[in-house]
Amino acid sequence: MNIVVCIKQVPDTDDIKWTKENNLDRSNMLSKLNEQDEWALDYAKKFKDKFKDVKITALSMGPMQALETLNYALAKGADRAILLSDKLFSGSDTFATAKILASAISKYIGDFDIILTGQMASDGDTAQTPVSLAQMLDIPDITNVVEIHNADKNGAIVSQKLDNVINMFEVSSPCLIAVKNECKEKYKPKIGDYIKAQDSKIEIISAENLDLAREDIGIIGSPTMVYKAFRPELNKNTEEIKEDYVQKIIDFMVKVNE
Amino acid sequence: MGKIAVYCEIEQNNNSLKDVSYELLSKARRLKKEAKKMNCADNDFQVVAVALGKNLEKSSLENAFRAGADYFTFIKDESLENFSQTAYSLSFIEYYNTNQFDMIIFPATYEGRMVAPRITTILETGLVADCTGLEFIEKNGKIALASTRPTFGAELMATILSKKNPQCATVRPKTFDIEYCEIKEDYLNFYCEYNLKYPINETRIKLLRTFFDSENNIDFSNSKIVLAAGWGLYTGKDREYFDKLEKIAKKVDAKVGASRKVVDLGLMSKSCQIGQTGSTVNADLYVAFGISGAIQHTVGMKNSKKIIAINSDENAEIFKYADYKIVADAKKVIDDLIKHLS
Repeated sequence: MNIVVCIKQVPDTDDIKWTKENNLDRSNMLSKLNEQDEWALDYAKKFKDKFKDVKITALSMGPMQALETLNYALAKGADRAILLSDKLFSGSDTFATAKILASAISKYIGDFDIILTGQMASDGDTAQTPVSLAQMLDIPDITNVVEIHNADKNGAIVSQKLDNVINMFEVSSPCLIAVKNECKEKYKPKIGDYIKAQDSKIEIISAENLDLAREDIGIIGSPTMVYKAFRPELNKNTEEIKEDYVQKIIDFMVKVNE
Repeated sequence: MGKIAVYCEIEQNNNSLKDVSYELLSKARRLKKEAKKMNCADNDFQVVAVALGKNLEKSSLENAFRAGADYFTFIKDESLENFSQTAYSLSFIEYYNTNQFDMIIFPATYEGRMVAPRITTILETGLVADCTGLEFIEKNGKIALASTRPTFGAELMATILSKKNPQCATVRPKTFDIEYCEIKEDYLNFYCEYNLKYPINETRIKLLRTFFDSENNIDFSNSKIVLAAGWGLYTGKDREYFDKLEKIAKKVDAKVGASRKVVDLGLMSKSCQIGQTGSTVNADLYVAFGISGAIQHTVGMKNSKKIIAINSDENAEIFKYADYKIVADAKKVIDDLIKHLS
């Protein structure tokens, strides 16, 4: 069984820094593997441990810095790691990103059984790239997955959680599964895993390696464009309650319940 | 004549439209009126409601027209009885090919977020996720849809345009107000049913079973009051104040939420976590007890109508989001509340 795990390196939103001009100071922010993508890697590892013939390919798009993330994926059990890195890729929106991923998967991975992704990335928060990718590859997708019960060459059995309803699906492969809950079987790489990971060379793929036109990728290939970005102003007229606050809280509660 | 389409979502169990459909229709009508005032050539728009399913409640239809629809198309087919992301997307596309739109607004519900990226990918156009603002601006002499959305855990707002038509966005429920207007008696003349020529039978996905997740579920969507527990309630040894907060919640018919830190420490269950990796709350009244106000939390509660924050640190971030600020030990406030309520 061939599993592809799409992962993304994201800025640590607990560590946001701003420039004097109120722009995000990306160069000084810490990066980390998107949390939900780590869970996707855990699920892949779970099935690698369960069955013998599982091959995991970790795939990421980003600057060279994202090599760290792929090294981590290798230590976590991936057999192969691919970084899609090119200045021409930068500025890609979800549509262009999905296009690049789809092209790389078709050309460099070929026959896969399951694509695993996190439900969303913590920086963009769109949850659109996985669905778009599934559409481009013409495969079924199940998002909002909280448990993958089984996965083999034929497909997977998963639980999807939508508010208070759980839908259990059987999906035939090839398919895409986006997870939003951590895997019970977590794997923390040990030093030996990192040393072993050094044996695997991360493949770096640039725009010219893909069968895509310049017009398909990056800012040019993105159907959306950022018109402006700004820091939200809270504009809250916060009023301090200094006395009788307990009674006032109760008054508010009573009023709302009326 | 330009067309703004609104993807209307049908509630599967009662065949009526979800409220978010009316919210988006009302917003579309406001945009239509805004366009009229703009000095652009094509400033005439129609609002088209589009719903997919097998059955549709009659009252919903009337409400859709009252909320803002000029036209209503019901894409009706046996194959659409149960939701399927592929069948719904492809059926929408089949209809779209007979009647194209300049803009499509989708609800950022589970269903909307499953179909919208498929639809826009097929149409090779853009999609702006989870918008909190929609407006019309002039771009190269034409009217363009400017969609504003929070990003980076809501630390940054981005306004995004689409270079291509249809210009598409998803919008969270409860973002826009519903405005009902009087409608003409002949509104049904503007309703049509579209019968699919190529129904999709999705055989690759099989629903095995559906069940309610009773123990692991807090539905914040209908709660007027939410009391949220933060790290400031921890005594260092037990759950005393978390239990007390739950007691208060019972008395005032409120739901209890929690910050990530409290959940990570196992003091409250994951199901009550509010924020980026938890639930989003739009309560009428939100009271934060001892919550510091990390972005990860505030992104999930800041749209509540009235926010009271209690924290002993007068510089706590949470106060920036609060309508009312109380600088006090949240534990003491809880003790006093219990005294007052008993």
